Amino acid sequence: MKLNIDGLLVYFPYDYIYPEQYSYMLELKRTLDAKGHGVLEMPSGTGKTISLLSLIVAYQKAYPLDVTKLIYCSRTVPEIEKVVEELKKLMEFYEKMTGEKQNFLALALSSRKNLCVHPEVSSLRFGKDVDGKCHSMTASYIRSRKQQNPGVQLCRFYEEFEALGRQVPLTAGIFNLDDLKAFGRQKGWCPYFLARYSILHANIVIYSYHYLLDPKIADLVSKELAKKSVIVFDEAHNIDNVCIDSMSVNITRRTLDRTQSNIETLQSTIQKIKETDAAKLREEYSQLVQGLKEANVARETDVYLSNPVLPDEILQEAVPGSIRTAEHFVGFLKRLLEYLKSRLRIQHVVQESPPQFLKDIYEKVCIDRKPLRFCSERLRSLLRTLEIADIADFSAVTLISNFATLVSTYSKGFTIIIEPFEDKTPTIANPVLHFSCMDSSIAIKPVFERFQSVVITSGTLSPLDIYPKILDFHPVTMASFTMTLARTCLCPLIVGRGNDQVAISSKFETREDIAVIRNYGNLLSEMSAIVPDGIVAFFTSYQYMENIVASWYEQGILENIQRNKLIFIETQDAAETSMALEKYQEACENGRGAILLSVARGKVSEGIDFVHHFGRAVIMFGVPYVYTQSRILKARLEYLRDQFQIRENDFLTFDAMRHAAQCVGRVIRGKTDYGLMIFADKRYSRSDKRGKLPRWIQEHISDGSLNLTIDETVQLSKHFLREMAQPFRKEDQLGLSLLTLEQLQSEEMLKKITQIAHQV
Amino acid sequence: MTTSSEDVLLAIKRVRQKKQDGILFLMAERIAWTPEGKDRFTVSHLYADIRCQKISPDGKAKIQLQLVLHTGETTNFHFTNESSALKDRDAVKDLLQQLLPKFKRKTNKELEEKNRMLQEDPLLFQLYKDLVVSQVISAEEFWANRLSLNSVDSSLPNHKQEVGISAAFLADVRPQTDGCNGLRYNLTSDIIESIFRTYPAVKQKYAENVPHNMTEKEFWTRFFQSHYFHRDRISMGVQDLFSECAKLDDKGLKTMVGQGVKNPLIDLTSLDDQTLDEGYGVSSAPSSSGCTKSVKETSNTAIIKRFNLHSAMVLAAGLRKHEPQNEQNSETSSTDGNSRDSDFFQPPLKKVKLQEAIEYQDLKQENGKKTIALTLKKSERYSHGPVPVQSQPYTTSQDIINSVNYIKHEMDNYTPHLNHVLSSSAASSAITALSPGGLLMQGGAHQAINQMVPNDIQSELKHLYVAAGELLRHFWSCFPVNSPFLEEKVVKMKSNLERFHSSKLRPFQEKVQRQYLSTNLTGHLEEMLQASYSKFHMWQSKRMIRKT
Repeated sequence: MKLNIDGLLVYFPYDYIYPEQYSYMLELKRTLDAKGHGVLEMPSGTGKTISLLSLIVAYQKAYPLDVTKLIYCSRTVPEIEKVVEELKKLMEFYEKMTGEKQNFLALALSSRKNLCVHPEVSSLRFGKDVDGKCHSMTASYIRSRKQQNPGVQLCRFYEEFEALGRQVPLTAGIFNLDDLKAFGRQKGWCPYFLARYSILHANIVIYSYHYLLDPKIADLVSKELAKKSVIVFDEAHNIDNVCIDSMSVNITRRTLDRTQSNIETLQSTIQKIKETDAAKLREEYSQLVQGLKEANVARETDVYLSNPVLPDEILQEAVPGSIRTAEHFVGFLKRLLEYLKSRLRIQHVVQESPPQFLKDIYEKVCIDRKPLRFCSERLRSLLRTLEIADIADFSAVTLISNFATLVSTYSKGFTIIIEPFEDKTPTIANPVLHFSCMDSSIAIKPVFERFQSVVITSGTLSPLDIYPKILDFHPVTMASFTMTLARTCLCPLIVGRGNDQVAISSKFETREDIAVIRNYGNLLSEMSAIVPDGIVAFFTSYQYMENIVASWYEQGILENIQRNKLIFIETQDAAETSMALEKYQEACENGRGAILLSVARGKVSEGIDFVHHFGRAVIMFGVPYVYTQSRILKARLEYLRDQFQIRENDFLTFDAMRHAAQCVGRVIRGKTDYGLMIFADKRYSRSDKRGKLPRWIQEHISDGSLNLTIDETVQLSKHFLREMAQPFRKEDQLGLSLLTLEQLQSEEMLKKITQIAHQV
Repeated sequence: MTTSSEDVLLAIKRVRQKKQDGILFLMAERIAWTPEGKDRFTVSHLYADIRCQKISPDGKAKIQLQLVLHTGETTNFHFTNESSALKDRDAVKDLLQQLLPKFKRKTNKELEEKNRMLQEDPLLFQLYKDLVVSQVISAEEFWANRLSLNSVDSSLPNHKQEVGISAAFLADVRPQTDGCNGLRYNLTSDIIESIFRTYPAVKQKYAENVPHNMTEKEFWTRFFQSHYFHRDRISMGVQDLFSECAKLDDKGLKTMVGQGVKNPLIDLTSLDDQTLDEGYGVSSAPSSSGCTKSVKETSNTAIIKRFNLHSAMVLAAGLRKHEPQNEQNSETSSTDGNSRDSDFFQPPLKKVKLQEAIEYQDLKQENGKKTIALTLKKSERYSHGPVPVQSQPYTTSQDIINSVNYIKHEMDNYTPHLNHVLSSSAASSAITALSPGGLLMQGGAHQAINQMVPNDIQSELKHLYVAAGELLRHFWSCFPVNSPFLEEKVVKMKSNLERFHSSKLRPFQEKVQRQYLSTNLTGHLEEMLQASYSKFHMWQSKRMIRKT
């Protein structure tokens, strides 16, 4: 249908529309009009992605000069591919309605591992290996070596692309990862570099967060993207963690050992080159003297990872003299390494700020701040001069030099924690140096500053006001949308007590209590008897799950559950868990029914949907607080309190509740779907916890279901499931939660729709 | 009546029954007892008739075994051999334990099967009524060659749905303490079957070791003692019989994991776009403390692994039945070189899953029913039908469309030539000739019988035909008569036929005559019967000659 969104003609590729989609588009348009940022929470399964794409594409078509590009960031590869498929649907609709081919280019970009078509390289299993191998076949100095030595193996796809690909850029079409690969194979061009080249002039780019938020990659890939772009972060409830991860470094003893051997290799290579081709080193030296930054000459294939710090922090001056010659620099690295080694030889925990660290390093080994800041850049120049093919081998020394650059660049928002051993195993020495970013706003700041509109959206962003705080930006729109429902297809229940009236909770004092564990077990086994098909249960941590499973096993609870359903359990091994997941789905599919025991914050809770019969009930055992004893977390909480006036408890609860919401939100994927959401912890009934759940879940928690016993839960669930099992037809929804164009245009409906969005 | 079913499996002397000493025989199909010094069985029970056996508790003075029949009767055997009474009794008990379930299932199955056949086939049911209920032949005779027939074709299409395995089958063998410092596991044949189906490795072990190396009991005792069963304990014993099974299982799990998952949306290994290098990030890098796990933790991990494996195995065991067929299919399809062709019609799984994931059913206008995609091995064969392999010129669809268009065109421009039509008299005579009873419509007299004979007579006749056919089949199947059994049967069948003739056919004939139906409805039946009579007489006279 064609919609009129506040004066903008929007093509929407469906015959019906949910009221909240209309409302969402209105808010989004306001954000774009104001050229500002927005935070929008829209329930999962209400067609958020298609609304977003429809509106922004329409906007781009209407005002091609105001919005030149849409950059859509999502979290996982399947998620990215889903977005592209939805876009394809939209474009097909455009073509059908207008009857002409659309001159519109959209493509997905992913790492080499997902895009490589080279038969040898793509067969490697790990992304790092693929990157390294690719680099060893495409770097400019290797390609130039080919002229002298025909035996050098190059990538024919890259050569072909280099020769022809740039002249005829991709013009129109929607390219998913597989489409790019097919296209690359057909033309003989490298899909990865084709995609990287094409994003510069594409109308829509879909890739993962890292390409914008990780400075090491963003600088390479996204540097030249137009300012007038709209950025969308979908599934953004964890965006602060992504920001922090991209700027934090951990150094273990193993890292240092590998650095040692890296440095030795560097030294011997320098020695060799000196004997054979001393001119090369001299040339590099003179380039550094002139301050010719390598960015000017480096080709896209040469750089493996760029500078770890944000572009505006990179010094625009020549590399200091002390590390200009190759040997001096290697000596410098050695000193740095020795210093780090000495720091790891400790018996007690040390926590210090970057300035303290710099002071100490100056006192101990006379390393200045300035050469440290150039460390990563200098290393890259050296690696390039030495024509090292397999850069992946040098990840350790790269890590160390990145750390040096980071620690000398930022004096605020970071902390250094050196732990001699893990908390759980105080007898085994395993020293780690954590260089941890505490301020998630640092990494995302350039994004907010550079692009005119940044939209942060997800199914679970509550409480909305905390995101602008921790990411430090000022949104023009902040809205949370409810889910209009013709039937209440979600049923959140809070179980606070067992049948024996013992309060159930995963809080630290009682979590090992046998009564609590038994009650959890009873809950699961009772539910397994009444819920059809699939049940997903989440625990607060992997260790907690292991303990509970073990004691359930001893008490024979698992056997009772097995009488009703098969049991699958998430493990720490991703491949094993994938297999368990597949079998779980198989068991749901063939009618046996199954239970998946999983972990909040685990991979399953973040990336897998349990649509329809794959998840008829989800049980959240306990409140998924992070491990609060971690020093890194404590430091971050302190920082948040001092810097953003967020109380520790508020942040912890916010973090726990967003993960709980993520977990339970997995079962509802649309209005025809239905599912039970069982919160098995007494603490959920408190308003400070409950109030942090997304509105669309919160509004269905009745006062009567705040502190249920297991028996009561079973009764309510039975009733709910029986009701949901009745046939549900389109007519039931029409006019309430599903609208035709005429219904949408009625005055009355428009008035109703304004109530869907709740401005914060 | 000496067949293999009378093989004596076990004979126990000095067994007392009704205060009389005697010998107890366990044969393949029945249990029998003969008093000392006689050669007749005074007690004989088919296993199928026995509901259960009971034994006197240990420590009682009298060592007895009681058989309870389905009818409720009981028979007691008292083992009196002082030295080995207990052993004898246990031997009988064990053997019975093995034999009874077999027969129990068989009888039930047989009855069920007969019932099902009668219900599914009304014709057969009618026949049964005609022949068995009216006592023309006995039920045994009736089923004698039915069942064997049926068992052949029932093996072809497996009507019965394979029963899956309960995931909790091991839970049913929870040990119970027997009061004196021992454990008792209750193991039924169902559970054993479940174990075998779920864990083929155990089955193999069983086949290897029982009964050459150990008794069945010993095997299961070891099984429950083994670390394999109690996987939460860390395996320590090297000579554990089942340590190999555990290894096999681990290997199986590894290959399962190694195969990866078909659905890319749930492949956790490739979920991330993996751009965060090792060493970056807040969560500490994969620590090298893999070896520092405590014993408890590793055992917990083992439990979790075991549950995953167990569930996967149970699931697989339920599906295993279908596998061979599938494999065959895939093999054939790959050998005839058309696999690519069929690929062409099916979008790759990934695409399907993605489409499924982004679909909003309720937002779309329902346009008609969802169609099922046609899976074709050879698209050509489908569009042209099975034609003999000849170099015939194909009619392409374009040709057909052209000719249809051409005909349409012709029809549009059709103008009748009114001066070139038939004369009205010729036309009307042609119509009469083509009407029923007309010149050109003769030869349709066969159909007339339908209309001449009332329906009830027709159906009765049908039944008679079926019954006669059945009897004749029995009769003719006796030839050539080369065994005394067949001789007996052929005589019996002859009398059966005569009985049928007099009790069924005659009354029918009379009835037909009473209704003055001219046509000789039963002529053919008579002929068939007469033919068999004459055959019988010929055989009988021949036999007389041979005998004299």
